Amino acid sequence: MNKLKGALIHVKSNIGNTIIDLLEKSIDKGIFDAVIVPMKVPAGDSFVYVLVKDKSLIKDGVPLPPTMFVQGAKAVSSVTRLGEGNMKIAAVIRPCETRATIELSKFGQTNLENFTIISMDCPGVLPTSDFLKDPEKNMEIFNEAVKNWDDKKMRPVCQICDKSSMVSGDLHIGTLGAKKDTCFIISNSEKGNDIAEKLGINLKDNLDSWQTQVKKLSEEKKKKRIKAHKELKSKVEGIDNLVESFSQCINCHNCMRVCPVCFCRLCYFDSDKVKHNADDYLTRAEIKGSMRFLPDTTLFQMGRMMHMSLYCVSCGACEDACSMDIPVAQIFSMIADQTQGLFDYVSGRSLDEPVPLVAYKKEELHEMEDAND
Amino acid sequence: MERKIGVYICECGPNISEKIDIDKVIDAISPYEDVSVVEKFKLLCSADGKKFLEEQIKKNKLTHLVVAACSPKEHEKTFMEVCENAELNPYLFQLANIREQCAWITEDKNEATKKAIRLIKAAIGRVRYHSSLEKIEIDSIPDVLVIGGGIAGIEASLQLARPDRKVYLVEKTSSLGGLVKNFEKTFLGMKPVSDIVNEKIHEIEKNENIKVFTDSEVEEAIGFFGNFEVNIKRTNEETEPVELSVGAVILATGATLFNPEKNPEYGYGKFDNVLTSLDFEKMNLTGKILLKDGTTPKSVSIIHCVGRKDKEYCSEICCMYSLKFIRYLKDKLPNISVQNFYSDLVIPGKTDQKFYEETKEKNVDFIRSSNISVAKKGNQLNINYTDENNNKKSLLTDMIILSPALEPTNDASKIAEITGVSRDDEGFFAEEHEKLNPISTSTEGIYIVGCAKGPKNISDTIVQAEAASGKILSSLIPGRKLEPEVKTSYISESFCIGCKTCLSVCSYGAIIFDEAKKVSVVNEVICRGCGNCVAACPSGAATIKHFKFNQLYQELREAVK
Repeated sequence: MNKLKGALIHVKSNIGNTIIDLLEKSIDKGIFDAVIVPMKVPAGDSFVYVLVKDKSLIKDGVPLPPTMFVQGAKAVSSVTRLGEGNMKIAAVIRPCETRATIELSKFGQTNLENFTIISMDCPGVLPTSDFLKDPEKNMEIFNEAVKNWDDKKMRPVCQICDKSSMVSGDLHIGTLGAKKDTCFIISNSEKGNDIAEKLGINLKDNLDSWQTQVKKLSEEKKKKRIKAHKELKSKVEGIDNLVESFSQCINCHNCMRVCPVCFCRLCYFDSDKVKHNADDYLTRAEIKGSMRFLPDTTLFQMGRMMHMSLYCVSCGACEDACSMDIPVAQIFSMIADQTQGLFDYVSGRSLDEPVPLVAYKKEELHEMEDAND
Repeated sequence: MERKIGVYICECGPNISEKIDIDKVIDAISPYEDVSVVEKFKLLCSADGKKFLEEQIKKNKLTHLVVAACSPKEHEKTFMEVCENAELNPYLFQLANIREQCAWITEDKNEATKKAIRLIKAAIGRVRYHSSLEKIEIDSIPDVLVIGGGIAGIEASLQLARPDRKVYLVEKTSSLGGLVKNFEKTFLGMKPVSDIVNEKIHEIEKNENIKVFTDSEVEEAIGFFGNFEVNIKRTNEETEPVELSVGAVILATGATLFNPEKNPEYGYGKFDNVLTSLDFEKMNLTGKILLKDGTTPKSVSIIHCVGRKDKEYCSEICCMYSLKFIRYLKDKLPNISVQNFYSDLVIPGKTDQKFYEETKEKNVDFIRSSNISVAKKGNQLNINYTDENNNKKSLLTDMIILSPALEPTNDASKIAEITGVSRDDEGFFAEEHEKLNPISTSTEGIYIVGCAKGPKNISDTIVQAEAASGKILSSLIPGRKLEPEVKTSYISESFCIGCKTCLSVCSYGAIIFDEAKKVSVVNEVICRGCGNCVAACPSGAATIKHFKFNQLYQELREAVK
């Protein structure tokens, strides 16, 4: 893995503007042909990813929006799903969005050849439903929370996110541990080193204060995460609790549609394979005495969990999209920690880490073997 | 569709009937949905049994057949043939194993009966969802490509060549004969060998059904058993590669010696008169064993196991040829003193041991030792070593012969890549099964013989060359059509996300990627139905025919219900 290199730079007015400034300079120097950056919609109540070719429009970018309407990995993937383009593009996305992008790249769902990913220390995002209640006021609340690194109003999974400063893209803007009016520019790849050099940024500064602060925060969050998962586990463990937890599911599949790593072209649960004839349902009703409709909502959740928990980045998009307030993301984050832990895998940690399904190890998972053997 | 499932329970003499209450099973199964007939029979695999089954299928107009009997390994094919004879598609049949997995593993008749009912219900649940699969036939090419012109490749070529079967023998060096042509005699019999090899080479040269390519390498080999497209390129000429079609490929690329310069303590390449076993064979073949200065050695030391620690395996043949060297030396220089430095002697078999005993009588020292290092002392070589009692000792000698480990030839990795044959931890080609399929590989129609799959003596190499030839002669018959596996995998275009995961796990190179549609496509003729792609596919797009999700689900559901 690449050893992180970084430089301490001066922040002009705020971090957002510093990132915008970097993007503009990069366009000037021909490092990028275009950038993908979040922008506020004209109505002012939502943020979307915009592919900007005209340099003069970059200034409208909001690199750190208060909410996540679209998961950034989906935006990056939309651009390059059918292969790399000729344009060199930079995408400004959060660490969990970066990690999802990396996972998608492993499955050929995005091509990062001509892409540069720029991430930043992430304070979390407000749940979209909360934000929409009063966008203006919530923008202020968010800005205030960023200053104090206060996560109480953020998505529940943001509050227990221990990877909010994980660097797995090319460049990362570190604000933790940086003195007033400064921030760190951190490079994680040859691409990142190259860009820094072209921008005249000397990656020779000491990153200790950032790393210490990141470690401290991540450890605190890890503790919170373990505690939260423990409490959650008692509520969802066992088949009865599990069915109960998903009992309100209306089978809308919103969670699947917004999930950045739900990469299937056609969801199995949307296909004809789960449409059975009346006789089959009657047989099932006969076996159990009765059968609920719509059927298989818990099966859908479990099927999705089985597929996605190895790649889940705990971004919380699914939970935001759930119209029935089911804590999908919290449940998935708990399962994901366990399944990924089994394979010493962290989704999106590195492009070089093969996904567990294809990584063959002679010795593994002895703990899953029959104890009587 | 109206289903008429027939269930037939085999008593297997007393094997099943003593442990399972078959009448009770019949009572339990009979009322089952779609089951139109349930019968028992003494021995279904007998001629009478097969005739009975065939008549039953016809008489009852069965649409599906379940036989509850022994392991599918035993008689699945038998009953599938019965189906064919009765004009029922053989894939509309399911075998429930109530012998090995039921009757034979318990004394409890009651439990065995219950389990038998479950297994049969599971088979019925599954067979309902079976689809007919049709056999396909393809033309086969009887010709064979042999890679490597050593004794293994020579022998296989001679066995295989005939008027209706061409053999293409590709050798990377300028002449045939491999390592063996350097050997004056073979061990055990001490019979001349280089003459025999030369005779065989002559036979090959005059055989018009064998085309030899020397100074050539195989550049490409794509395809499947019965039909490989091969490219052969001359190494030192700028010519277009020769394109050939063959039905089978024999890998006879041999082995090479571990380079003793990697263990500098032996002084190889540093001091005169330190030879490898191959250097010594070549010198011996000239008829004169001489030191660098042209004088005759008075003493020779043979050091065994050079490089064994590096390679972490025993090279099997070095002890024996080291004994042969003693014979060479004593025959040519009767007064010479010979010492063997060894750590373990590997001398297996009824005749090898005798050869050792006889050689030992010729006044030779066998010194069990470790920590060997060689230094120059005057005109002689000084061997420092630790003996069995942990004493440090040294010995002066005129000449040292090193017996290095054998390792794969340096083109093994390229050939592995071209042919898709995997290699073992040591870098030799890996066989399909070390005991049960020792010369086959994971790719049907590609065989490994001789040292290409590990150090081996000449007689074992010949046996393997004959075995591979036998396999090819009996399966790749000129004019006969091939029937590839029908239980193959297929990839749904609408589910495939184009991640190419399946390409990386396919052992047979059976999947190609359609760049236009961005989806993976299975070549059904190459696919062997192993299921790797199905297990690895992240979007559930890959399915194996006959092991479809619903078939497994229904089987499982009945088994656990």
